[in-house]
Amino acid sequence: MTTDTATPDLSTAVEAAVEAYAGDPGFLIPMLQDLQADLGYVPAEAARHMADLLHVPLSQLYSVATFYKSLSLVPRGKHLITVCLGTVCYLKGAKEVAARIESQLEVGPRMTTKDGLFTFEPVNCLGMCGLAPVMVIDDDHFTEVRPGQVPDILARYSGKEN
Amino acid sequence: MMKLTIDGEEVEARDGDTVLDAARRAGAEIPELCAHPAVSPYGACRLCLVEVKRNGRTRMAASCCYPVSDGLTVLTKTEKVQRARRGVMELLLARAPESQALRELGASMGVDEPRFPTVTHAERDCILCGLCVNVCREVIGAAAISFAGRGVDRALAAPFLQSADACIGCGACAAVCPVGSIEIRWGDDEVEVPTFGAKVPAARCEECGTPIGSAPFRERVQGQLAAGLSHATELCPSCKQQHAAAGLSRANRGTASTLPASARPVPL
Repeated sequence: MTTDTATPDLSTAVEAAVEAYAGDPGFLIPMLQDLQADLGYVPAEAARHMADLLHVPLSQLYSVATFYKSLSLVPRGKHLITVCLGTVCYLKGAKEVAARIESQLEVGPRMTTKDGLFTFEPVNCLGMCGLAPVMVIDDDHFTEVRPGQVPDILARYSGKEN
Repeated sequence: MMKLTIDGEEVEARDGDTVLDAARRAGAEIPELCAHPAVSPYGACRLCLVEVKRNGRTRMAASCCYPVSDGLTVLTKTEKVQRARRGVMELLLARAPESQALRELGASMGVDEPRFPTVTHAERDCILCGLCVNVCREVIGAAAISFAGRGVDRALAAPFLQSADACIGCGACAAVCPVGSIEIRWGDDEVEVPTFGAKVPAARCEECGTPIGSAPFRERVQGQLAAGLSHATELCPSCKQQHAAAGLSRANRGTASTLPASARPVPL
């Protein structure tokens, strides 16, 4: 079980997110989004601290944080790989693309690589069906991706380890 | 007051009533799992479907959430309604195939086995009606549990799937659960709600030491009782009776002009 006292770093991040919206619990979702952007995920201790500050039950915060896919309760990799598995992408070979990513990085859906570099997140539509299959890494979009291109694409990010 | 027609009979209803309230008063039998008088309507189980006609249009509606209005026509037992309810019951049974309460209600509606695949063992016996969440938040005020996840992952859980720290062990969740899937263990030293991983110390009768429910819940109740009534939570029922009897006999012998506080009747 986690303690109620958040570490200083987490506390600062939580307090900044809460103060940005004047502590109004109605802004719980943007607060969590800010926290996620700041820390890369929503740690349990941070969630507890936020619930305390806002006088919102921790259960409610947990419910919100697990409802939205953009919020993560576990640490994410440095780069987020999103692959569309929607109908069109699927028919045009997205499953093979996803399989290639999974085998190369040794991850499953919604998992992070051991080196913490990549998180793999299959999604159901990215709204770019005309360019299927689509994969997105961070803010870079790759369209009409073939499984054979996967190693090259991933290599561009593997090298960017600061 | 307003007038509506339920199954062909004219019925009076008050502003703020739901169709379910009015129909029940009119004697209609409507199955339902998640409508609880202590908790505001949530409309999760969808078993209380009825047909409502308004301005010439008919639609299916969950009667527990549908407010009455003047001139409304409600049909509670048409073939269409019963077919829809049976469909809902099949889906519920697929979610909670082991619940005896649900199986019995299903059988009474003519549904024995759902056509749909049933859920995995770990998720069994919860229809996700949310009654436990709502009673914990609205009535008890602890808000120890909530829905978590969504879609096929949706479940009822304590925060971070750990032990529910905010739980006071009152047992309200187990009491309202319509499919009987929340377990509560009243031990000698602890009250445990294994479903949500919560454990709280047990309260004991101050005289004989018999465990009488949860200590944090007793504290909560004591805080809400009028002054001079807190003794109502201190003793077990049998010690209360003995005190009352002793007090009465003293009063009869004239040795005490008034009953001792512990023997006064307690309004419940």
